[in-house]
Amino acid sequence: MIAMIDLLLIFRILVFPGFTFILFLALFCEWIDRKLEARIQNRVGPIVAGPGGILQPLADFIKLLTKEDIEPRDTKKLVFRFAPLAAFTIMIFAMCFLPIDGASVLSSGTSIAESGFNGDLIIILAFATIANFLLFLAGWASANPYGTISSARVLTQFLGYDIPLYIIALTPAFIAGSLSIGVIAAGVPYILLAPWAFVLFIITMQAELEKGPFDVPHSESELVGGLETEYTGAKLAFLHLTRDVQVVFGSALVVTLFLGGPSGPVFFGLDWLFHTIWFVLKLIVVVAISAYITNVFARLRIDQVLTGNWKILLPAALLSLMLTITLVTWVYHPFGIGV
Amino acid sequence: MGVNGDASFVANNGLHHEVFKVLLDADEKTGITAITGLDLGANIGVYYHVRTSKSFFTIKAEVPKENPRLKTLIDIHPGALFHELEVADLMGAVFEGNELKGHFVLSENWPEGVYPLRKDVDLSQVKFVSTPEHETNKSAEGREVKIIIGPQHPALLEPEKFSVTVDGETVTKVEPRIGYVHRGIEKSTESHTYLQNTYLVERVCGICNPCHAYSFVGTVEKILKLDIPERAQYLRVIALELNRLHSHLLVLGHAGLEIGYETVFQYFWRDREPIMDLIELTSGNRVYGSLMTVGGVRRDISQDHIPKIKSVIESLRGKLPFYRKIYNDEPTLRLRMKDVGTLSREDALRLSVIGPIARASGVDIDVRKDRPYAVYGEIPFKEIVYTDGDTWARMNVRMDEVEESLNILDYVLDHMPTGPIRIEAPRSVPPGEAVCTIEAPRGELLYYVRSNGTDIPERVKIRTPTFANIPSFLKTAIGESIADVPSNFVSLDPCFSCTDR
Repeated sequence: MIAMIDLLLIFRILVFPGFTFILFLALFCEWIDRKLEARIQNRVGPIVAGPGGILQPLADFIKLLTKEDIEPRDTKKLVFRFAPLAAFTIMIFAMCFLPIDGASVLSSGTSIAESGFNGDLIIILAFATIANFLLFLAGWASANPYGTISSARVLTQFLGYDIPLYIIALTPAFIAGSLSIGVIAAGVPYILLAPWAFVLFIITMQAELEKGPFDVPHSESELVGGLETEYTGAKLAFLHLTRDVQVVFGSALVVTLFLGGPSGPVFFGLDWLFHTIWFVLKLIVVVAISAYITNVFARLRIDQVLTGNWKILLPAALLSLMLTITLVTWVYHPFGIGV
Repeated sequence: MGVNGDASFVANNGLHHEVFKVLLDADEKTGITAITGLDLGANIGVYYHVRTSKSFFTIKAEVPKENPRLKTLIDIHPGALFHELEVADLMGAVFEGNELKGHFVLSENWPEGVYPLRKDVDLSQVKFVSTPEHETNKSAEGREVKIIIGPQHPALLEPEKFSVTVDGETVTKVEPRIGYVHRGIEKSTESHTYLQNTYLVERVCGICNPCHAYSFVGTVEKILKLDIPERAQYLRVIALELNRLHSHLLVLGHAGLEIGYETVFQYFWRDREPIMDLIELTSGNRVYGSLMTVGGVRRDISQDHIPKIKSVIESLRGKLPFYRKIYNDEPTLRLRMKDVGTLSREDALRLSVIGPIARASGVDIDVRKDRPYAVYGEIPFKEIVYTDGDTWARMNVRMDEVEESLNILDYVLDHMPTGPIRIEAPRSVPPGEAVCTIEAPRGELLYYVRSNGTDIPERVKIRTPTFANIPSFLKTAIGESIADVPSNFVSLDPCFSCTDR
C-alpha cells in the first residue's frame, strides 16, 4: 500500500501534473503567446514545426541544447553556471503547489480545498521572488555591461513590483478567509467579487514577468540581449525555459486566485481530466490577455516604470485591499458570499 | 561667373562674414545650406550656399593655397559648424575660430596635411599613420561618466560614434565622430563620366536614391540649359513621392521598434511593401530604380499601371486615420515621445536645421514650396508645420506628409501630360557650375556640380540632409535622460551612409 502511494507520488512529480506536464505546458503557452503576438502584428508566426508550428518552442529548445556552450573568461563561473538551473528548478517547484489537476502535485488530498496547507500562497510568491533574484545573479555574473544593466533593472523592477503584487494577492485570501491556495481556488471565481483587484493583479503581473509595456530589462534597442547576452547553448536554453515557466506560473497564479483555478463542471467521474482541462483553458485566456497587453503598448522608460509602481500601483493596491476588507467584513461574509 | 540659375557673388578678404551677418539681420530664416570647398589651382574656393526665405544664392570666397585662412561663421551662425569642419578636413581650408583637431570625416590613420579633394594630391603616395587607441567608457572628472555609443551599438544600425557624458542619468555633453562609412564618393565622381556618376550618386544612400539621382541630373541639366519634357518631370515627381512615402513609412515603423512598440513597426513595414512594389512597377527595381538620367527619365509608365498605383494609394489612405490615431493619441507612445528632444524655433534657425525636423519646430522651410523644382510649382499640397519641436511632433510631421504625398501622387496621375519622356543630352558638358536643391524625405539635399568642358565633372559637392541635422541632436540630447537618446535620435531619421558619403 505504502509502495503504491509512493509510486503514485513519483508519477505525479515526474510526469503528471508535475515536471513533464509543466514543461510541455510552458512550451505550449510560449507557442500560444508567439502565435497570438504574430497574429496581432499581422504576421503568421511559427508554422513549420508541427501543426500550426506548435512544436516550434520545443524545436528551439532542443536546438539551443545542441549549440556550443561558451563561457567568457571574466564570468563568475559558479553563479554563471548554476543560477539559470536553480531559477528553473525553483520555478518548477513553485508550480508544483498549484492545483493543476484539482490537487497540488505534492498533496494527496481528495478535493481542491484540501490540496494544500495554510500559507502556501506566501511560499510560492517567495519562490517567484527568489527565482527573479537568481536571474539577476545570472546576468550580474556574466561580466557584460548589457547584462549588468539589465540585471540592475530586473532587481529594481521586481523589488518594486513585489510589494503591490503581494498586497493584491491578499485580496482573494481575505475573501476566502484563508492563505491556502486550495481553499482560494475552491471558492467562487473571485473576479466576480473583486474585479478591480483582478485588473490590478494582471497589470502587476505583467510588470513582474517583465512583459510589455514593462519589459525594460529586455529592451533590445538599448541592451541587446539583456541579461542573456553572454549566455549560449544549454544555459541559454534553460534561461528561456525559466522565462516560459515564469510566464505560466504568473498566469496560473491569476487563474488560481481570481478565476477559480481548476474548478468547473466535471463528468464521468474523471475529475482530474476535467480539472486539468478547465485549468488549461483558463490559463490560455490569461496568456491571451497578457499577449494582448504586451503588443498594444510602447515600452515605458525605466523611470516611468518605477514611477508607475510607487505613485500609481502601490496606492491603488492599498486602496483595493481596504475596499476588499470593508466589503468582506460588512457585505460578503455577513451574507455568506465567497466563503 | 554666376552659378547657373541662381545668384552668386564674390566676397573675399573676410567680406563673407559681413555679407552673411547682413543677411541674417535682414531675414531670420537665413541659413547655410552647404559650404563647398574647391581647388581652383593657386587658390582654394570656399563657396557658401546660403538660403533665405525665398531665395538661394552662393557667396564665393577665395583664399590662397599657401595660407588658406578665413573667418569662421559659427560666431554668428552655429549651424555652420559641421560644414566648415568638413571643408577643413577634405580641402584644407582653415577657419579661424573653428579649428579642426584631428579628423572630422577622414579616418584616424589618415596623415595630417593631406587633403584628398585637392587636385594636386597623389593618393597613391599616401602614407597611413598608426591608428590611435580606441576610446573606452570611463569616468570623467567628478561624478560624470563618459559612455561611448558606437561605432558598433545595438541602437545604431549604421556605424557612427557618439561619446555621451552623463551625470547620473542626465546627458551633459555629446561629442560626435562621423566618417565610419566615408567612401569618398565626391572624389570618385571626379574620375567618372556624367553618365556613370548618375548611378554612382544613387549609391550615396539606398533609401533616398532617386533624390540623389534627381539632384545630380538637375544640376547637370542646369549647366546644359536643357528643357526637360513635361511628362518626364511628372514621372520624376512620381518617383520622388513614392520614395518619400516609403522612407517616411520606414522611419515611422522604425521609431516604433526603438521605443519597444513592435506592433507599430510590423504594421508600418507591412504597408510599406505595396509602395516598394509600386517602385518596382514604375522603375523596374525595388530599391535602386535608376530612373533619372540627364535629359529625362529612362522608363515610362503605361496606362494600365495607373489603376494599380491608384488602388495602392487608396488602400493606404484608408489605413491612415488609424495610424494617425496611434501617433497622435496612444498614451504610452506619447509618454516616450512627447517633450523628448525638444528643439525650439530659435535653435532650429540658429543651427540651420532642415526638413521634417525644422518643420516640427515651427520653421516652415520646404524646398518644394520655397523654390519649386520639377513640377511642384503647379501641384497643390499643404506644407506641414508643427510647433511642439519634440520627437512626437517630428514623427507627426512625417505622418501628415505621408497623406500629402498620396495627394500629390493622385494629382500627378490625373494631370500627367503625354509626350516624350527624355531628350537627347550631350555626353560632354560645357564649362560652368550649378546648384540644385531638392526636398528629400529627410530634408533639403544639395548638389553642386562644376564642369570643365569634358565628359567628367571637375567637382561634385553633395550635402546630405542628415549631415545638416545631426547638430540638432547634439543640442537636444543635453539635459535629458540617457534613456531618451534612442527615441530622440531616431526622430532625426538618421542616415549615416548619407552623412559620410
